[in-house]
Amino acid sequence: MMAVLDENGPEPATPHADPRGNPLLRTQFVIPARPATFLRRERLDEHLDEALLTPLTVVDGAAGAGKTLLVADWAAARDRRVAWLTARLAGKGCGTFWAYLLQALRLADVTLSGDIGTPAEPGHVDDALLTRLAGELSARDAPVVVAIDDYDQATDPEIADQLDFVLQQAGRGMRLILVTRTEPLLPLHRYRAADAITEIKNAELAFTPREAADLLTLHGLRLPDDDIGALVNRTQGWAAGLRLCALAARGEGDPRTYLKGFEADRTTIADYLLAEVLKRQPPQTQDLLLRLSILERFSPELADALTGRTDAGLILTGLHRENAFVEYLGHGWFRFHPLFAEILRAHLRVCRPRLEPELHRRAAHWLRRSGSLDETLGHAAAADDWESAADALVDDLAIGEIFTGLRTDALSELFSRMGPEPTTPATDLVRAARHLAQCDVERGLGRLKRAERALTRQSGSSEDDGPGLAAARLSCALLEVTAARLTGSPGRAEAAARTAERLSSEVPGRRLEEHPELMALLVTHLGSARLWAGRFQDARAALTTVADSGRTAPTAHLREECLGHLALIDYLNGWAARAERKASAVAAAAGRCGPPAAPGPGLASLVLAAVAVDRNELDRAEAHLDAAADARHPLPDPLARAVHALVTGRVLLARGDTRAALEAADRAAGADVTSPWAAAHTTAVAAAAHLADGRPEMAVKLLAEEPEGEPVCLVGAVRAELAVGRTGAAIELLERVRPQGHAGPAITVRTALARAQVAGEVGDVATQRRLVARALEEARRERLRSPFLEAGPWLRALLRTVPLRGLAEGWLVPGPPSPGHPEPVQERPPLPVVQELSGRERDVLRRLAEMMSTEEIAADLYVSVNTVKTHIKSAYRKLAVNRRQDAVRRARELGLL
Amino acid sequence: MRYEIRVDGQMTETLAKAFPELDHVIMSGQTLLFGPVVDEAQLYGLLARCQSLGLHVLEMRQMPE
Repeated sequence: MMAVLDENGPEPATPHADPRGNPLLRTQFVIPARPATFLRRERLDEHLDEALLTPLTVVDGAAGAGKTLLVADWAAARDRRVAWLTARLAGKGCGTFWAYLLQALRLADVTLSGDIGTPAEPGHVDDALLTRLAGELSARDAPVVVAIDDYDQATDPEIADQLDFVLQQAGRGMRLILVTRTEPLLPLHRYRAADAITEIKNAELAFTPREAADLLTLHGLRLPDDDIGALVNRTQGWAAGLRLCALAARGEGDPRTYLKGFEADRTTIADYLLAEVLKRQPPQTQDLLLRLSILERFSPELADALTGRTDAGLILTGLHRENAFVEYLGHGWFRFHPLFAEILRAHLRVCRPRLEPELHRRAAHWLRRSGSLDETLGHAAAADDWESAADALVDDLAIGEIFTGLRTDALSELFSRMGPEPTTPATDLVRAARHLAQCDVERGLGRLKRAERALTRQSGSSEDDGPGLAAARLSCALLEVTAARLTGSPGRAEAAARTAERLSSEVPGRRLEEHPELMALLVTHLGSARLWAGRFQDARAALTTVADSGRTAPTAHLREECLGHLALIDYLNGWAARAERKASAVAAAAGRCGPPAAPGPGLASLVLAAVAVDRNELDRAEAHLDAAADARHPLPDPLARAVHALVTGRVLLARGDTRAALEAADRAAGADVTSPWAAAHTTAVAAAAHLADGRPEMAVKLLAEEPEGEPVCLVGAVRAELAVGRTGAAIELLERVRPQGHAGPAITVRTALARAQVAGEVGDVATQRRLVARALEEARRERLRSPFLEAGPWLRALLRTVPLRGLAEGWLVPGPPSPGHPEPVQERPPLPVVQELSGRERDVLRRLAEMMSTEEIAADLYVSVNTVKTHIKSAYRKLAVNRRQDAVRRARELGLL
Repeated sequence: MRYEIRVDGQMTETLAKAFPELDHVIMSGQTLLFGPVVDEAQLYGLLARCQSLGLHVLEMRQMPE
């Protein structure tokens, strides 16, 4: 089968100008065609057949040793299809590599379930994905043969480990053949010791005199044995050397004399022979060969664009017919043998030193018209023609790929070489996108504004309101929404999203379909901005469209991000368990398997932390908080920073560190527009800290400043008013808590407890019990412990009474000792209701445990004996004990000491 | 760091241009490429380039400063 160039599938760029990211190219998966002059060698084919007996086969040899053709010929002759992958372009990052390898397997009719997934980042692939792949391969009846050509180009060191892992796990289901110039980094010693490897090395690939004679005959050259022997000696049986010899000698009247000259010459072989071969070509052909050396592959039309002539078709067909160094890929496309291309490039630099940038420029221009973005970018960058590169990217609606998908690394590296010039709208858009991708909003907005101004001028001055301008404006709108989200400006996000909506009908629909990430990014950011504004319904509508979209690679990350946002909405509405399910689904989607692993950086981890706080699982909450913001992934936007601040504040509050909690709540600021719920929650944390520190008036004052309606503030205010003894005010506040149909247990439980506390204050014990019972019932399902811990000491006595005790036992307070099982082993000992001890009370308790007397403690802490007694009394009360030994024991049980 | 790389055969001036960062000197049947090398990555890059050009590396060593 010949290589196919389909019209949507751009072709690979040259290796030295490769933007690294390419869509999955069909030519990567095609077994290369053998030239007419290919010589099949039985001894090597037989050795390769042994490849089926060992899991791993390595064919390694020098450039031009004939490795690829050998394996390609062997593979093509097999009954079953071999999964073929050329790693030349695929192997730069392990994510890209595995994306290509999965595709290669599918193209070889290996049935793989969709559950395996696709890597979403160029430089990362999840272990779970590899485990699933190996699992499916190991279940096969017959092994799939996977051949990876140019394996030495797969430079990411993780690839070797991952291949080793999959090969081991897949067992009999997979046979791997690596064609490479250098020994692969797999643990070959282990394979050798286990006799699990077949190796074909340079010496074995070398042509014997007999084979050399056959090869030369195929090239139309017959020589006596002596001469063959001398030639094999000089070339050391190197396939490329022999072929070049045949080419060079064929034009000579007396090949034998010519070859004698070659044998005597001491120039390096390829160097000498290639110069000879080149010298023999007519000037137009020489010129063509030199110019084409900058291309990884070429069609006659592209070649004509580089020469400015029209003879490329004829010349290339002729060259292909007469030698193996111009290879035909099918559908009108050719390429040079890599060795030949390398040497030609050296010649180009010597003969036409200043031509290279111009050639790249012309190639970029031609390729852009033919719709091949990757190659266009590669050549435009090589020509230092950033205007064209940026234009191509923006025109293609591919600017979203700077933020997400397999090409992010490639594009970021490519455009990192762009200097401050030129300043066209497109280059500024690319610069803005790169700044925003690094969350550098200020510089990003600067570039974006400049691009917008230029675009406004353009649309006024000319009639060119065509799709090109629409694409640039749509890109603008995307960046605008991105910036609006990063600065917390919902209004700007909405306006830009409306503009984008209008523009999306003015750009070619096909382009939009090719770049699903563009609209997905826009909608994700819009949803995030709406959530920040507290418009949960509208936010949910936007986020759901992305979260429900398919799991394609370019939008996989966005889907997770949207799920994280949806989880946050659930949490804020009081549905802790729902929020947890969604946030955990992000972990599952990301493939980072096995609970209790966190989904990694991002909002989903923050939501899990928040849910853990509601359950008073503080260590877990802290672990999730740590996972949410590591050094590599700083929290991107005000929303994530606000959630991080308030969850941190609540953890600190639960640990009794009120001062740090106040500081954490203080850090939440920093957005263009204040978020109502973020402000309310932050105030609630601060108020709770003041209340715990005995400053209820301060709490009342803070909460009074918040706009009404947020349950979290009302509940806090009720407790604060009760603490200052204004029962009437508390009752008044309670009446303002409106029953909200969509509120979940985390809200309703807290409200019920606040009502219960008020009922207790006015002496309505029956109502109080009924409310506490309802709160316990609702909270039990979701194990919401912290509302009860926050409620205060009044609750403790109640929980010891029947029937409330029964409702609380087992999850909130320790369960009854059951006969026969005196010590039920529980993973997480249930936390009893204890009001946090103050720092001073702890100090005193610690000294009590050291058997110090009250006087000694007073002396040690530089306080009066009476103060110590006050602290001890207060600690007894909080621990619900009456004696010193009980206090120490209880404190130990609770891990307070 | 300075390195020298000894390859089999005499390189033509043209081919030597494929190593613009290095000087070269031709001796009997061999070519010596030498010059400053920034780091290991560049060193391996040079070796890979030798391989791409079909050169046999006979010896490679770090030279005293």
